Amino acid sequence: MEKRASEELEVPLTALRDGQIGKVTSIKTGHGRGRGRGWGFEKRLNDMGLTPGTRVTVVKSAPFHGPLEILVRGSRLALGRGIAERIYVEMER
Amino acid sequence: MTERKLSIALAGNANVGKSVIFNHLTGLHQHIGNWPGKTVEKAEGTLHFKGYTIDIIDLPGIYSLSTFSIEELISREYIAVERPDLVINVVDASVLERNLFFTLQLMELETPMIMALNQIDMAKSKGIEISIEKLEHILGIPVIPTVAIKGVGVYDLLEKAVEMIEKAADVKSSGVKYGNEIERRIGIISDMVSKASYKYPPRYTAIQLLQGDEEIEREARKIDPEIVSAADKLAKEIEEIHVQPCSTVITSERYEIAGRIARKVQSITTPMKPTLRENLHDITTHRIFGYPIMLAVVLSIFFAVFTFGNHLSEMLGEFFMGWQPIFENVFGAGITGELIWGGVMEGIIAGITIALPYIAPFYLILYFLEDSGYLSRIAFLMDNLMHKIGLHGKAFIPAMLGYGCNVPACLGCRIMETERERLLADFVITLVPCAARTVIILGLVGAFIGIQWALVLYVFDLLVIFALGRIAFKAIPGEPTALIMEMSDYRIPHLRTVAKQTWFRLEEFVKIAFPLIVVGSVAVKLIEILGILEPIGNILSPITVTWLGLPAITGIALIFGVLRKELTLIMLATLLGTTDFAKVLTPVQMVVFTLVTMFYIPCIATIAALVKEFGWKKALFITAFEMIFAISLGGVALRILTLTTHF
Repeated sequence: MEKRASEELEVPLTALRDGQIGKVTSIKTGHGRGRGRGWGFEKRLNDMGLTPGTRVTVVKSAPFHGPLEILVRGSRLALGRGIAERIYVEMER
Repeated sequence: MTERKLSIALAGNANVGKSVIFNHLTGLHQHIGNWPGKTVEKAEGTLHFKGYTIDIIDLPGIYSLSTFSIEELISREYIAVERPDLVINVVDASVLERNLFFTLQLMELETPMIMALNQIDMAKSKGIEISIEKLEHILGIPVIPTVAIKGVGVYDLLEKAVEMIEKAADVKSSGVKYGNEIERRIGIISDMVSKASYKYPPRYTAIQLLQGDEEIEREARKIDPEIVSAADKLAKEIEEIHVQPCSTVITSERYEIAGRIARKVQSITTPMKPTLRENLHDITTHRIFGYPIMLAVVLSIFFAVFTFGNHLSEMLGEFFMGWQPIFENVFGAGITGELIWGGVMEGIIAGITIALPYIAPFYLILYFLEDSGYLSRIAFLMDNLMHKIGLHGKAFIPAMLGYGCNVPACLGCRIMETERERLLADFVITLVPCAARTVIILGLVGAFIGIQWALVLYVFDLLVIFALGRIAFKAIPGEPTALIMEMSDYRIPHLRTVAKQTWFRLEEFVKIAFPLIVVGSVAVKLIEILGILEPIGNILSPITVTWLGLPAITGIALIFGVLRKELTLIMLATLLGTTDFAKVLTPVQMVVFTLVTMFYIPCIATIAALVKEFGWKKALFITAFEMIFAISLGGVALRILTLTTHF
């Protein structure tokens, strides 16, 4: 029962409102072509500090479904919305 | 006593002040080129210190060493294969954790290194204090605090670097100790690896093999294919334990350690009120105010550059034209004289009057903005729009450069991550009206029909860029990459670094564009002297007269425009014998002519830049496409305009 509840809280980063904090659970690279482009994205995000368990603060998003501004490990990143949608987080309340 | 030669490489994340340190160290003795066979910039410089000649290499700014990009590959290969005597890891003290993540990877390459802990002033203003002693103790390498922009600590850094090399201390920095289940498997592979000689140290090779590093897998397969399958199997085991890709597991652990070190050495007191740079960030990326601010900044840049550029360009033009009699005296007015003046010299003058007045100031301002951090904010605001044409926010920056001149803009697209994006961006840029095209739009349509029609053409150009960009994006295979960009804190730009970057861009422009402008200019002059200009104009008349409804001589003007677009207007005046175009051209003809000139071909210098970036085939394809497109567009416009407007 409890496990279920936590699973339900797993949302894409884009679902967070401005100022909300989430903990990265996974990065879904989509097309599942092994170590193709998707793998490159995940690696890149990992390298920029977005590893599972990392706390991410969504600062704001640019208008008209623009990119997200996030704080991670003390640095400020801009993430395109497409990629942000693939980052799943557990919302912190 | 002969001077001993040393080599030192600067490595670190982007925007940590690496190039500022590089400039302090090497001063004027710099050389910017490309890494062999790559489009990545290589900055090299030398300095003399305590009887040594020291070669300094400024490696590209990167966040990791795991071959996501060519820059990463180049950097680690340089460190592992060329083996510099020392690596200086430049670190941004205000983002310590992420920077340490890179430091730990450098250590795995088992290279002798020291750390420049830069921007400690900025860290302080954010309330971050770092204990140097603790950091040195934990990492086992010397750490020198610096404020590069003010030159603080740079001398100490150099002194320490030489001292380290002289001591030739045996560096066996282990870097990270991973979890036992991973360490055991690293051990198995590195034992297998150490039997043969690899490019990289055995432990690093093992770690990378576990992460599925394609380059190292390729190398290992050549030496012993069994290693790769063994590593694959072991990686799967780790994946089963952690239920995550092995590379994620390893990256996570590395970050864990970086975070632990950062927390141990820094004490943070959050400042009471937000700093000026934070307020500036908030307002310039604001969802409402951000855009008018951006528009104001961009427009004032254009206004400043074009007003200034126009004046200077005219002055320079007049100045050089004064040389003509001297040349005629020396070389005579015969064919040689004409070829030398009308071909070679006018080509060079054309290059100078565009490079100095427009490109130099444009670059200076843009680099200033980039160094300050503002361009990354623009990229943030424009990302969404750029996505529509398959690019991301970063491409907006070279696209803006294109309004000054397409050549540096095309070369500027190297900031894009993949070749596909570079090609897309370059294609879009060749459609951006550069300074030379602006001269025609304003000088013909703006002056003789009305400024509102000139504006209509600009808006139309944007629509064309958007439409063609979108089609190209759908047509070129491959997936679009997304924006993953750091927005580092605003800072005051280092003027000398900015000036140097501008200078190197100018140098590059001269090298690429000048030879072709001169050759092209001589060729056209030769055609003129041989008296075959008019026949060529006549050959083109089915296009110019029948399809575009223009006077036949415009064909000649368009040929000249290949050299440099505003020549079309100058030639038009010469050929028509008047600068009062209203007498010889109807408004519709002016619009059609301007439209065609805007799109019909990238100028010869831009073609050269395209060739340099993508080779002849793609460059010629873009050229041919734009010719067909512009001519079709011109004819269609003629028919629509004659039907619908009555100027």
